[in-house]
Amino acid sequence: MFSKSKPMWGKKNKLKSSYDVVLIGGGLHSLATAYYLAKEHGITDVAIIEKNYIGYGGAGRNTAIVRANQRTQYNVPLYKEALDLWPVLTRELDYNLMFNNCGNLNLMHSEAAMNAARMNVATAQFHGVESHLIDAKQAKELVPALNISDDITFPIHGAMYHPPGGVVRHDAVVWGLAKGAAKMGVEIHQHTEATGIQTKNGKVTAVVTDKGVINTKQVLLSAGGYSAALIHGFLGIKLPISVLTIQAMVTQPLKPLLDHVVSSGAYHCYANQTLKGEIATGAHMDPWPNYTTLTTAHYIKHQAEALSEFLPALRGVRFMRIWGGLADMTPDMAPIMDGNEQVEGFFMDCGWGYFGFKSCSAVGRHMADFMATNTCPDILKPFALKRYKEHKLMGETAALMSYSPDN
Amino acid sequence: MMTRFNHLPTLKINTGDKIPFTYKGKTFYGVKGDTIATALYANGVRIYARSLKYHRPRGLYSMNGECSNTMMEVNGIPNVRTETTYLKPGMVIKEQNVKGSAENDLLGFIDKMDWAMPAGFYYDTMHKPAKIWPVAMKQIRKAAGIGKLSPDHHMPGKYDEIFPTCDVCVIGGGHAGMKAALAAAQKGLRVILMEARPWLGGDFEYRTSEYLDSQTHHERAVQLAKEVEKTENIRVFTHTANVGTYNNNLVTGFQIGKESDSFTERYIELRANSVVVATGCIERPLLFENNERPGVMQAGCALRLANTYGMLPGKTAVFSIGHDLGLETAATLHDLGLSIPVIADIREDGQDPKLLKAVLDRKITILKGWVATEAHGSKQVKKVTIKSVDATVSKTFDCDVLVASAGFTPLTGPLVINQAKLTYDNHTNFFLPTDLPKKMYAAGRLLGFENAESIEASGHLAGLKAAYDCENCSIAELGDAKKAMETLPGPARGTKLITAPVKGRKTFICFDEDVSIKNIKQSINKGFDVPELIKRFSGAGLGPGQGGIPGHNLPLFTAKYQALPDIRIKPTTVRPPLVPTLIATYAGTNHTMFKRTPMDEMQRKDGGIFRNIGVWQRARYFSKDFTCKKEIENVRNNVGMLDGSTLGKFRIHGPDALNALQRVYVSDLSKIKEGRVKYTAMCNDDGCVIDDGVVVKLGENDYYFSTSTGRAGQTIEWIRYHTRYENWDFALVNLTDAMGVINLSGPNARKVLEKVVDIDVSNEGFGFSEYKEFTIADTIPVKAMRLGFVGELSYELHVPASYMKSLWLMLNEAGKEFNIQNFGVEAQNVLRMEKCHVILGQESEQRTNLLDIGMGFLWSRKKTGYKTVGVAALIQAEKDNNRLKLVGFKMENNGRAPKDGALIVDDRVLGHVCTARNSFSLNEAVGMALVQGDMSKIGTRLAFYEDECNGELIYGTVVETPFYDPEGKRMKM
Repeated sequence: MFSKSKPMWGKKNKLKSSYDVVLIGGGLHSLATAYYLAKEHGITDVAIIEKNYIGYGGAGRNTAIVRANQRTQYNVPLYKEALDLWPVLTRELDYNLMFNNCGNLNLMHSEAAMNAARMNVATAQFHGVESHLIDAKQAKELVPALNISDDITFPIHGAMYHPPGGVVRHDAVVWGLAKGAAKMGVEIHQHTEATGIQTKNGKVTAVVTDKGVINTKQVLLSAGGYSAALIHGFLGIKLPISVLTIQAMVTQPLKPLLDHVVSSGAYHCYANQTLKGEIATGAHMDPWPNYTTLTTAHYIKHQAEALSEFLPALRGVRFMRIWGGLADMTPDMAPIMDGNEQVEGFFMDCGWGYFGFKSCSAVGRHMADFMATNTCPDILKPFALKRYKEHKLMGETAALMSYSPDN
Repeated sequence: MMTRFNHLPTLKINTGDKIPFTYKGKTFYGVKGDTIATALYANGVRIYARSLKYHRPRGLYSMNGECSNTMMEVNGIPNVRTETTYLKPGMVIKEQNVKGSAENDLLGFIDKMDWAMPAGFYYDTMHKPAKIWPVAMKQIRKAAGIGKLSPDHHMPGKYDEIFPTCDVCVIGGGHAGMKAALAAAQKGLRVILMEARPWLGGDFEYRTSEYLDSQTHHERAVQLAKEVEKTENIRVFTHTANVGTYNNNLVTGFQIGKESDSFTERYIELRANSVVVATGCIERPLLFENNERPGVMQAGCALRLANTYGMLPGKTAVFSIGHDLGLETAATLHDLGLSIPVIADIREDGQDPKLLKAVLDRKITILKGWVATEAHGSKQVKKVTIKSVDATVSKTFDCDVLVASAGFTPLTGPLVINQAKLTYDNHTNFFLPTDLPKKMYAAGRLLGFENAESIEASGHLAGLKAAYDCENCSIAELGDAKKAMETLPGPARGTKLITAPVKGRKTFICFDEDVSIKNIKQSINKGFDVPELIKRFSGAGLGPGQGGIPGHNLPLFTAKYQALPDIRIKPTTVRPPLVPTLIATYAGTNHTMFKRTPMDEMQRKDGGIFRNIGVWQRARYFSKDFTCKKEIENVRNNVGMLDGSTLGKFRIHGPDALNALQRVYVSDLSKIKEGRVKYTAMCNDDGCVIDDGVVVKLGENDYYFSTSTGRAGQTIEWIRYHTRYENWDFALVNLTDAMGVINLSGPNARKVLEKVVDIDVSNEGFGFSEYKEFTIADTIPVKAMRLGFVGELSYELHVPASYMKSLWLMLNEAGKEFNIQNFGVEAQNVLRMEKCHVILGQESEQRTNLLDIGMGFLWSRKKTGYKTVGVAALIQAEKDNNRLKLVGFKMENNGRAPKDGALIVDDRVLGHVCTARNSFSLNEAVGMALVQGDMSKIGTRLAFYEDECNGELIYGTVVETPFYDPEGKRMKM
């Protein structure tokens, strides 16, 4: 029943002087790409280069919410595939990813918001993803702790209810994918920092690290919040990405109280109960770009004020810890996935903002396909960098983004 | 109930004042000054709770609240740390997470199942076959979690917040903290001192051993506290736990109210110029088998039970300690009547000779180089085995208490969450703070000092350093204080022992999550080789105590187990809040406020149904009929009034005012004539429309313009941002709140207005798209525009907010004979939709540009040289046919309107409905939609896919726009 006490993602290998593929970043998108490169394409001469330890960044800092009720037809199928993959990966990796498909309720606080949500719901249903608009009473039936009275700042009009969404244990996905990839021969080099990418005649030739130069023809850079800076530093490619700190926190553990992921755009707040019983909550980003993961006094207080209103029972619960992570935001809230375009052999997968976790499984699979075949799969085509030059944003949010003055 | 001491100088209880409370349904009594935990202890309770995973019995251990051992439900609030919460009359106290009782927990057998639960076992189990996972998950959820909370729980009490400032903030009211506060205060600075306990004095406060010249530590603490309290420029917050420290010395904490206070708890957020952290130490848990069995407690806990709360921890206590506090505790408790068969001291040497003598004088056996290896007794300690540290010799003693402590661990939380680094120090065996943030200093016991004079001197020095930062202390004085420190004893040597010589199956490094030494070994063997990963994998330090118990033991053991040559491994990251804090307390009072227009009160009286719209509250409907039939018809056939005060209103003037407008607006505003209204729009760099509104020219270099409600807040920043390199001379004033707007619309609007104004408002005198300024009743200055957003004859009257009500009442009076009525935002929405006037955000989305929305006519292509925001993108987009375009549509066969947000589809999504309604004015269903460019041709059939339609589509056709009054005669009449 229990795997023996041996290192889960292989012995500590010595870095070789060349690999077929090098993946920069030991986060979920890299790990998933490595896993699928090995599993579906037989490419196993792969090195993952991670400055810290795997899952150090966004992979271990997100609040693990998964869902497929996005707004546009470009996104919904991708997230649907990701959602469908959790049970599959649990089986394939023989590692319990603890998928809790408890369903998500996205609260709406006005008729206008209900109408806006209707488009998401219709888009989801059109693509075969279960999602419904429900009224405040129905929401209260699902979430008894919800305050549906009129005397709060943002009275609840209803909710977008997405039953197949939920929560996956994020650390388990990191370790499970690492285990699965390592088993097929992928090497994971932790505490190894990539410091450059060498090119010749517009082609990738090597990745430079603090432990030596690795010759390779293909490299994927997928380093979460650090991607834009690294890509610019290594190759001079400028990306329209603002990096912002996003914070999350948990309360002391409680017996079951919340059975769904509940979120509210008006309150800038979501809350769900982890399997351990903690209420995890967070949502909005700090309004200034930065690369720290420091927390702020304002944020935790804001969350408390918000929860006090729409889930007032939680006033009797104690916050236990707050942490910060980085969100790499693009102007249209959609990621940048591209390859062989700027430099032959160079692939990037970044700009995920706070959607990196939910998408990782499907994206890893398609990025692996992209790298193995050197042909961009149709599903990834809309995410190419050139859309910004063409002023064709993705429309993933209805409203304009205002996280920086130059939105 | 046991008899309590009532003669000790250190006591904080009043044995004469009995306090009743309910525990497990029965009434018990504590005394005034008791914590809940001490009141229970006095009533013989030893098992307070069961542990999370194994349901092991748990008891009073540290009395500082760094573990969940004594967490209970109090008055319906779960997870209350009873050892730091004071007893109040009538409290209802319940046990948590037990089946049966804490004494007899039916789930106690799980403790024997640990073999089936190695570190991270859940990742390797319960997923094969897949079917069992949902079932298992339910069981996990039931088993996990500690306290219970009702979804209807109502939190009683008053929660307040204050935001004070000071020159120096001192965290910790022990001797070092008090000395620091006094030093800074004597320099004339404003000082705030935060102390977690309800009184000053820290860990010397309850100690009766000698300080100097036959004064006890306790007496010295009282003396210092008096001095602090009488110093006027020190503001003391007792019973105030520091929970956060942030950039530039923002410090947060929460205070628990006294009976005389007006608040139950209050959030304190303060900004200090400099901060002194003098939080002291907690004891480092000693690791041995069953090291958390009820009856095992730390030295400070045993000592405080007696000296502060007036009771002995038991009858017979074995001591296994590694610090002088242990010896002092033994001597003190022996004198109060505790029988001590043996003290096992980890240290071979280095004990304070005075304390050693005190122990020997009392004929207590002390074994140097010995340590407890196992506590026996299934629910409480009955026997203890001690062994020589090399595990060659062992002895067993009967007892009911085991005082166990490996030494000290510094409380560096406030420093490290503000980015101080920790570095391992071999002498103290501490991870000491290094690279302190600017204007932040550490003092006292947390630096390893044990000598009282050294502790005070380090506090004094830190206080002077903080004063120096405020430019209130000379370098010479600092130098003197440093020299004074050098004459005093330095940091004490810390014990190196991490675990007793045991295998560690039931040696718990983390109590909250039931993580044993064995689990840590399993984690490391699996590749989780640094504390941060071990924490995530095994759960150590993730519980309510947030790493207080694993603390420094975890990194020290991790380094030792891997036989690392030097200790570079760091403790896990400490995160705020340093003490678990109620959401009610953090929330304090609510800060979200809405803006209300000058008409708010009157419109509510008129039956307005209000909604939040951006930062405003606005009347959306004036009846429960949300189709707004009456409101709409009254505007179309008669006359209505809408409160438009939320519109953004700005004045821009100065030599470069026009330049600034030309930069952000797509139209050529140099052509604007005085007395005319120019409708125009702003784009962002992608050409996407972000705002629309009107501009009027008030005079030379002087313009008045309006923005949409939602955009008003960002407009000034937007214009400043896009002109930031120009050094232009213009002034921009936000008049949004200063001016109100009345929209008077309908075929009878002129007849109403005529009655209240002196000027000619005929179509010739005041034509469509014109602007006029006039005064009503010689008093009310009006900026008036003739617009036609709703498609009827319409006047937009901008007046100072203070005159809004007066003018409104005048118009209302004048309009009575025409049956003038209110109309709300939803009626306006339908009216303007029939006219195909767009509302940004409704007919546009993030990616919609000026051309897509059919507003290309606003863009002046001839206007060059102004670098107008978005124009480059528009030029590029002009050639692109593959974009979503805004179209008008009607439904086929007189069908109903699709819902807003419905999709337009074939086998994929081709667009979506922005706004559609069954129009009363047109007697048919119409709407606007964004569709792919090739579908925007008139006559194109659109198939609508609505939510819950189950694939049943409804159909419409793209038609010419606008639907209502296509020639625009009505608004120009």
